[in-house]
Amino acid sequence: MKKNLIIILAVSAGLQFFSSCKKDFLDEDVYSAYAPETLTDSLGFEASIVGLHNHLSTFFSYSDPQGWPSVWHAGTDIAFVPPTQKQGIEVPYYDYNQLISTDGAASFTWGWAYRMINNANIIIVNADNPNLGGMTLTNKNSISAEAKFFRAYAYNILATCFGGVPISTAPLTAPKTDFVRAPLDSVNSLIIRDLTFATANLTDVTALGSTNKTHPNGKPASRANKYMAMQLLAEVYLRANKPDLAEQQCAAIISSGKFALVNARYGIKASQPGDYYSDMFWFGNERRYQGNREAIWVMEQENPTSVTGGITNNPQQRRNWGAAYYQITGMTICDSLGGRGIARMRLTDWVVYGLYENNDVRNSHYNLRRKFYYNTPGNPNYGLQVPYTGADTVFKIAPHTTKWYQYDPNDVFGFAMIKDFILMRLGETYLLQAEAQFRQNKFTEAAASLNVIRARANATPVTAGQVTLDYILDERARELLAEENRRMTLMRTGTLVTRTSTRNVQTINPVLGLTAKNLLMPIPQSEINLNKDAILEQNPGY
Amino acid sequence: MNKMNCKFIWGKLPNEIISSPFRPASRLFILGFLLIIFSSLNAFGQVKKVAGTVTDAETNEPVISATVLVKGKKAAATTDAQGNFSIAASEGDVLEISSVGYKTMEVSPDFNLTMQIKLTATNRELGAVVVVGYGTRKRSDVTGSVASVPKARLSQLPVTNVLHAIEGSVAGVNITQTSSVPGSSASVLIRGQNTITAGTGPFIVVDGIPFSKTGAVTNDINPNDIASIEILKDASATAIYGVNGANGVILITTKRGTTGRPVIRYNAYMGFDNIAHMLEPLSPQAYVKKYADWWKQVNPTQTQTNVLPNAYEIANYNAGKTVDWVDEATQQGIIQDHNLSISGGTKEVKYFLSGDYMKQKGAVKGYQYHRASLRANLDVNVTDYLSTGTSLSYANNNYDGGRVNFYLAAAMSPYGTEYSSTGAYEIYPMYPELLYANPMLGLNTDRTDRSNNLTGNGYVEIKPLGLLKGLKFRFNAGYTYVTTRFGSYTGRNANNTLGAANASSSETNNWVIENILTYNRSWGVHQIDFTGLYSAQERNYFTFGASATGFINDELSFNRLEAGATQTATSYRDKYDLLSQMARVNYSYDGRYLLTLTARRDGSSVMGANTDKYGVFPSAALAWNISKERFMQNIKLVDNLKVRGSYGKSGNEAIGVYGTITTEGTVRFPFGGASTIGVLASNLGNADLHWESSNTFNAGVDFSILKSRITGTIDIYNTRTEGLLLRRNLPIITGYSFVLDNLGKTKNNGVEVTLNTVNITTKDFKWESTINFSSNKNRIVDLYGDKKDDLGNRWFIGQPISVIYDYKMAGVWQTGEDRSQTDPTAKDGDLKFVDMNGDKQITAADRIVLGQTAPKWIGGLTNTFHYKNFHLNVFIQTFQGAIKNNVTLTYADEAGRMNLPVATGYWTAENKNNTRPSLAYTNSRGYGYASDNSYTRIKDVTLSYTFSQNILDKLRLGSLTLYASGRNLYTFTDWIGWDPEHNYSFRGSGDWTNNYPITRSIVFGANVTLR
Repeated sequence: MKKNLIIILAVSAGLQFFSSCKKDFLDEDVYSAYAPETLTDSLGFEASIVGLHNHLSTFFSYSDPQGWPSVWHAGTDIAFVPPTQKQGIEVPYYDYNQLISTDGAASFTWGWAYRMINNANIIIVNADNPNLGGMTLTNKNSISAEAKFFRAYAYNILATCFGGVPISTAPLTAPKTDFVRAPLDSVNSLIIRDLTFATANLTDVTALGSTNKTHPNGKPASRANKYMAMQLLAEVYLRANKPDLAEQQCAAIISSGKFALVNARYGIKASQPGDYYSDMFWFGNERRYQGNREAIWVMEQENPTSVTGGITNNPQQRRNWGAAYYQITGMTICDSLGGRGIARMRLTDWVVYGLYENNDVRNSHYNLRRKFYYNTPGNPNYGLQVPYTGADTVFKIAPHTTKWYQYDPNDVFGFAMIKDFILMRLGETYLLQAEAQFRQNKFTEAAASLNVIRARANATPVTAGQVTLDYILDERARELLAEENRRMTLMRTGTLVTRTSTRNVQTINPVLGLTAKNLLMPIPQSEINLNKDAILEQNPGY
Repeated sequence: MNKMNCKFIWGKLPNEIISSPFRPASRLFILGFLLIIFSSLNAFGQVKKVAGTVTDAETNEPVISATVLVKGKKAAATTDAQGNFSIAASEGDVLEISSVGYKTMEVSPDFNLTMQIKLTATNRELGAVVVVGYGTRKRSDVTGSVASVPKARLSQLPVTNVLHAIEGSVAGVNITQTSSVPGSSASVLIRGQNTITAGTGPFIVVDGIPFSKTGAVTNDINPNDIASIEILKDASATAIYGVNGANGVILITTKRGTTGRPVIRYNAYMGFDNIAHMLEPLSPQAYVKKYADWWKQVNPTQTQTNVLPNAYEIANYNAGKTVDWVDEATQQGIIQDHNLSISGGTKEVKYFLSGDYMKQKGAVKGYQYHRASLRANLDVNVTDYLSTGTSLSYANNNYDGGRVNFYLAAAMSPYGTEYSSTGAYEIYPMYPELLYANPMLGLNTDRTDRSNNLTGNGYVEIKPLGLLKGLKFRFNAGYTYVTTRFGSYTGRNANNTLGAANASSSETNNWVIENILTYNRSWGVHQIDFTGLYSAQERNYFTFGASATGFINDELSFNRLEAGATQTATSYRDKYDLLSQMARVNYSYDGRYLLTLTARRDGSSVMGANTDKYGVFPSAALAWNISKERFMQNIKLVDNLKVRGSYGKSGNEAIGVYGTITTEGTVRFPFGGASTIGVLASNLGNADLHWESSNTFNAGVDFSILKSRITGTIDIYNTRTEGLLLRRNLPIITGYSFVLDNLGKTKNNGVEVTLNTVNITTKDFKWESTINFSSNKNRIVDLYGDKKDDLGNRWFIGQPISVIYDYKMAGVWQTGEDRSQTDPTAKDGDLKFVDMNGDKQITAADRIVLGQTAPKWIGGLTNTFHYKNFHLNVFIQTFQGAIKNNVTLTYADEAGRMNLPVATGYWTAENKNNTRPSLAYTNSRGYGYASDNSYTRIKDVTLSYTFSQNILDKLRLGSLTLYASGRNLYTFTDWIGWDPEHNYSFRGSGDWTNNYPITRSIVFGANVTLR
């Protein structure tokens, strides 16, 4: 018996020895993440493009530093930061003495753009693979075009903010630390090349007035279309000083007949007090299929309590732009006042008192709120106007734009703002066209372009003789207040210093130390340090 | 794993080996090895067999590895783990039974009965058998640094987690209990931190089977079931755990049955848990004053309009209503434990059965922990060459319950409104302040948090007696099955107007098989002891979770997720494999010179695909028992003296599962109201990643002098760790911010002293002390190979791994003080920092390393007093030379809206406080308020009474001990806050559930043994 037992054990020991000695015992199988090589078919590409849209949104929804939206507006001509409401990341953008190479906002922008570029590169290079089976050329080109649009979008932000930057057009397989800055011209050429491809290969949009939720090619309406690429291309041509080419792109968008300025009430608030301009900025009215005929590119957002993954982070626009009226006793957070704001920014007096004509619709109290009324039921002052007193006007009852109003009765505190971002609309196309015409000394045409916008706003027409770059930038502020990235516009046009120093002149938390070097942001110091095998040159003055 | 070659073949027997397709060289080696063993076989002639059991005369516990000699003849035997031996002897022979720490005994062999031999202890410490990896050694034969946790720490203490019992009691082992939350565990650091980013916890092994990395948690071990705990510290001891050894190893052995009449034991305690140190918030009057002071400091030019900031507060102030939130949030904590065990056995079958129920109601409302556990340990001697057994255990941990937010309770305005007019909790007591919700809301949430651990280990041990004497083959198989289940629901009455539910569960299956071959033989003065191991381990983990939001009402809790409008689901699976071979040889010459050589070869699945996945970890140790030398025999002062030295290498697996592989993660984005799946690049893999390795030199001395009145151990060590896994930061132009790489180097030097003294011993009174002291010096030697610091991570070459790098605070700016030369923008009442670089401003460049967060030294002092049947045990623990950021001193920009502790205080122009800033100070530089968190704690005091035999006889009991025990009785510290050891978080950061006051437990217990 003993012998048998020993034999049994020996055999069992031998078996387990060999079974566990198999070569693959220590190999790893990843069960819960995709390997990049499994994503090179049609569905894989589609998902990769959705990834780019997701990544795009993180530029707007970044909220780890809550003052993020203020970076792009405060310390320019349109806004300043109330001292008690400052967060931190925006501070070097009005006290420019503090804008140094370790700056947080510059670093985030840089990193965000290169992550976009890397993800786009993976798609572009994979789609170019001649061995790719099962996909038509049209399909491949449409994928590639969308990826190139996003790559161009990221490079354009880099070029605007930093100047010439390292160019990367293929994903890396191993660490690389010898990047050098490419000349700005090369960056622009790459962007123009990508966008030219995109305008040719991206889809058209549905007919004006359509309520289809999809493009003619069947993809969702907020996926990239050719007009997005054209409008971006117009802006890039302007920055690259090719105004004639910019004008062509704008004209093509306008003459396509696919878009029209909103000039009549529509949508979910049509029967409530308001005007046609304010209608555009209610969540539920912002998309093309919701009636916004002007929209070229709307980045859609959804309430994550009803649509999983509806937002990526916690967008801070409402909190940054809205007034902290809830801090006034007798004021209650409500829908018509746009939910809970904390006024991390306040419009400059130039915007509040000097920018608009009285009858300009963009200055109506539905679009620029200046007066507040006690709204807490039972409060003795209920219905009376909240009086202006001292510091209260700086942030508690600060005049503010209503464009980022948003209120969720299930989340009154509302750390996240849940509403769409209108990233491109026809209103801006006219402004870009005017700028392109102005730069070619076509003043009459420029005035005509501006007057399309002004007529819609019920404002006095401008004459050819009045058109200057400053006038165009004033008009952009009037039309695109809190929509466009004001800082990037002023950096692109080289007017940040002159316009800010003449229009942002209040004494509380004044703009300090702004000089010409601030027309570019500092290259992140960590990038310079980590790029140890080559010199990544810093922008002058940092 | 391309280069894998199966060189090691332990666990295989000769016929199997010969037929195996092994390379000729290894076959030759094996044959040669066997030849040597066979040649030493002794054939016995006209002799008969004697069998017996050797036990300790006092404790009745088996004496393991005792030597049994036939006087004047060659025959020798050693006792096994049960104290059993058998030897061949002839009529008229004399057996000599000896064991270290026992008086040698001579007896005549009894050929008819199993001999019962009782040895008298002279020094129990020395004779003690300690568990070392894959076997046991007699204390006197140990060559490495192996510490045993004092037995007194394993009973009569109100601890729910075994680590809490060890804290402070072993030199070189720094255990930190970061929270008093019922059911919380502790962090363990043995001999300092070697690794920067990888896990720092030791490898825990229970009953010889790996416990760490199986999904098990230390709460799964019932402290009542533990027989002994050994801690392996130097490389000689830990190298046999190879790639898991670098952080030290804790070996836990559970109780097993012994021969003799059954012992039925009931151990129970019950007592109270209360807040040990209260950090009182400001009184209502002081809170009003604080708001006035805040107003004046923030708005110096404007008059204060309201007495308090918020409408509800003003109303309550006017009505004279206040709330003591801390009082509302707390309750009488109760802790109890009941343990019933039955053990016993015959020569053939031994058993230990234990059941335990532990229940703790926290001192803060909603917190509780209870555990039910069972254990069955069985040993069966099937035949004289075959034995088998099992260790089965089951534990169920329950941490259920919605919990009060104690942080908010301490920060809430005394003029807040606790209950609304309907009697429900007011959601925002300081309405319209929405940042501070009612701390009691947690009680309105449903919360389930449970885990189960079912562990079954079995072994078969064969002594092929006919084949080779001293040869033993043991096959261990272990299976651990751990499940967790979590569910929570937050509804309308807990500040979620939609209702949010989630439920998740996980399952970890872990199996391990071990083939252990041991051989031990002595020839005269030579003794050799060989252990070989071949083992494999696999862990499969799967978790699944789902959540839903948007419920019609709160009726269904988390029991029907599909009733929520929106659902999301998550799942994750991974697998981990380890394949190991190990060999160890112990050689002893006359018990005087001892040598241990070990080597372990580990292959782990987590290593990069470009590596061969294997690491080899060798070590060597030498020991010299000087006191056994002839020249020492006349030195009466010294009873025992041994010096030890070891050098070796152990590893830290470091890499997480799949950490070496490039992957893409999934994201979502909505289009037209439909959630859509996208993918984004996530991890840049590095297929070259491998383990971190630590080379440790250790020298030690064990001594016993003055007839064992003073015994002790001193160890010094030096550990150099290299190949540290670090995130090598990349320019993000690459698309990735970092890639993992084996880059860094660290070193640890230290000294450890343990002393046991018998201070006074008379007939009725005895006073004993145990002192342990250890000091560790930790340094980063290199990070990225370029000798450069990593400022972002606060890693500095030449400094300890964990340091606080911050501004140096010099006081507070007082009114009128000139600050133009240091900090021009500072206002009155701002913190005054030192301008380190003298550039006349305070910038990030003025930060310096303020100190280390690991202690410079730790120690424990146990005094035990015995007077007749009374025993008093006082254990004091100390932790010295560390600093920690003090969250309690931070209020960011919330000083005007929250309550503050009385003890922290604040600056005003009148009080000229020079340590605390004004209330207007928003700490925009992010200063962490690093403070000295050294402390000395009267950790445990236990008074017990052991009933004497005559009373027991009357009561018909085997034994009876009654005791009272107190824990965390008093703490000496300069720290301002709830506790220097516990971790706290500021509002909105970290985990608020850990913001829990330190508690003091007082329990009363009884240990009863039936007859």
